[in-house]
Amino acid sequence: MEQNSIPSTKVQRAMRFVKTGAQIGGNYIKHYSKKMVDPSLSKDELHENNANDVYNALSELKGSALKVAQMLSMEKNVLPRQYTNKFQMAQYSAPPLSGPLIVQTFVKAFGKTPQEIFDTFEMKASNAASIGQVHKATLDGKQLAIKIQYPGVAESIKSDLKIVKPIAFRLLDMNEKELEKYIKEVESKLLEETDYELEFKRSIEITEACKHIPNLVFTNYYKAFTSNRVLTMDWLDGMHLDDFLKTNPSQEIRNAIGQAMWDFYDMQVHELKAVHADPHPGNFLMQTDGKLGVIDFGCVKEIPEDFYLNYFSLLIPEIMQSATTMRNIMLQQQIITINDSERTQQIITDAFTKMTTLLRTPFDEEEFDFGNNAYIDQIYALGEEVSKIDELKKSKEGRGSQHALYINRTYFGLYSILNVLQAKIKTGVRNWKKPLIEYHLTKLN
Amino acid sequence: MKAKLIQEYIHYTLEHNNTPQSVYLFAKSVGISEQEFYNHFSGLETLESEIYQTWFEEAMHKCTTSSPWNDYSAREKVLAVFYTFIESLKPNRSFVKFLKERDFKSLPKWPAYLNGLHHSFMDHVKPILNEGIASTEIAERKYIDTKYADGLWLNFLFVLKFWIDDTSPAFEKTDAAIEKSVNLAVDLMGKSALDAALDFGKFLFQNK
Repeated sequence: MEQNSIPSTKVQRAMRFVKTGAQIGGNYIKHYSKKMVDPSLSKDELHENNANDVYNALSELKGSALKVAQMLSMEKNVLPRQYTNKFQMAQYSAPPLSGPLIVQTFVKAFGKTPQEIFDTFEMKASNAASIGQVHKATLDGKQLAIKIQYPGVAESIKSDLKIVKPIAFRLLDMNEKELEKYIKEVESKLLEETDYELEFKRSIEITEACKHIPNLVFTNYYKAFTSNRVLTMDWLDGMHLDDFLKTNPSQEIRNAIGQAMWDFYDMQVHELKAVHADPHPGNFLMQTDGKLGVIDFGCVKEIPEDFYLNYFSLLIPEIMQSATTMRNIMLQQQIITINDSERTQQIITDAFTKMTTLLRTPFDEEEFDFGNNAYIDQIYALGEEVSKIDELKKSKEGRGSQHALYINRTYFGLYSILNVLQAKIKTGVRNWKKPLIEYHLTKLN
Repeated sequence: MKAKLIQEYIHYTLEHNNTPQSVYLFAKSVGISEQEFYNHFSGLETLESEIYQTWFEEAMHKCTTSSPWNDYSAREKVLAVFYTFIESLKPNRSFVKFLKERDFKSLPKWPAYLNGLHHSFMDHVKPILNEGIASTEIAERKYIDTKYADGLWLNFLFVLKFWIDDTSPAFEKTDAAIEKSVNLAVDLMGKSALDAALDFGKFLFQNK
């Protein structure tokens, strides 16, 4: 059978991480001893070695640890690119559930085997998701996709995250206290993701609200065959991003798909205030006629009102002009705190202004070409530059609201998919800035 | 009648929070003569031992008649047997728990009331393992491969105990325990680095 052994107990999993920690240490020693001989050696090779070891450790785990790998791979601004390339592979591979376990899961949830419920049911998974897998089935002539979750995922998430922590702050250059509020945020989202009944509810809500957007397609979900660990929907055709690009789609088709994706996120962020926060390529199915299918609403970030009013104001030049408003927003977002010295506040504010000015570029114009690689490279470069600022590195406090974690990740995911897609997007269609400007004006007066 | 007596036995135990102390008392509560009882079982111990055996045979029947059974590999068949049996215990969890509290100490020993289960388990698992050996899914190892079934039996007892003590919602942890322990057991039975090491050791020994 294709199943490799999974380190199963907490101790075993912990051992993997201890080993990885030791390997990373070893890589550093190797790097510096090599560097003594060859001073021209860049840090690239070191990062590459580290990324390999961390990835190998994570790929032997399942569930939440794999998800953390995904999270890290999306935070392109904090990780050197060698890490992200490796981690992106984690998005597609997870060892499968055995056939009898699938049957067992169905019997527990519906009192019947999948063979009794459906006309046909493929025992071999057609797709691995990070905490489960997808099977094809047919019923009354309809093709279905059925997502099945590993048993006990929710139970193991907490202990997994405890184990991931030391590795995480090693990678992210953060101390434990600083990391805590973010880990909590990730933990709550991960736990939500294990509840397929919640996902069912959210899928229907977002689908209803967004189905009018041109070129966007959703699927039907079946309540009768949904439990907290099984989710049944119509099979949605389409290709993942890399396969889609191999078909050489025209610029018009790429723009259409990119536009659908942009409008989808505009709608969610500014109207629904709840956003599909898992924009990794595996969750989008692209069709050669320019349609975009969206699946997997397991990770939905609800945006609190006061966070919304401040976070998105940072993207509006008119608001950023006022130093007082700017300072208030930075404080509300916990990017600076009243305990910071004035110098620190200034340095961080400057760096932040530089970053948001760059990040908001697509919003400044009516149309933006995400195919512009120079722009994306600038973001990476600035990200690395910011992460090297001493005031930020030495900071004992967490910088930035925990709500920003998933929102940042969403936009980084969106930007990088649109970049790979080389799409030109009409970014200025929705006028969301006006209410925000008015809000801050009345606050000033 | 046998099935009815078994039902009555379970019922009696749960109601009295104790197993019947004699055939006389049990027969009386069922409303039959002691003599009638002996037409079906030679004693209360035999009856107890047949309870688990009956459940297992029923689970096996359910397994082998379900559609994916014939397409399953040996590994999957073993997994299916474990899952189906544990699932079939659910309606009688209180009784199973009671017996375990009464006597089911540490492995590898098992109480007399599981002897019937042991017989049936061996009868059904051995052919599955032989199938696996024939398809090379499981490695043929002299002297050791006759012990495979005994190993799985211990695995089976472990899972049974695990389920009885499991408090996770819908016994999800038991599912994970089955998946992981059986996969490990079958992995160990398959060709592995161990065989290569033994082979190499033998080579060195013979060529020195």
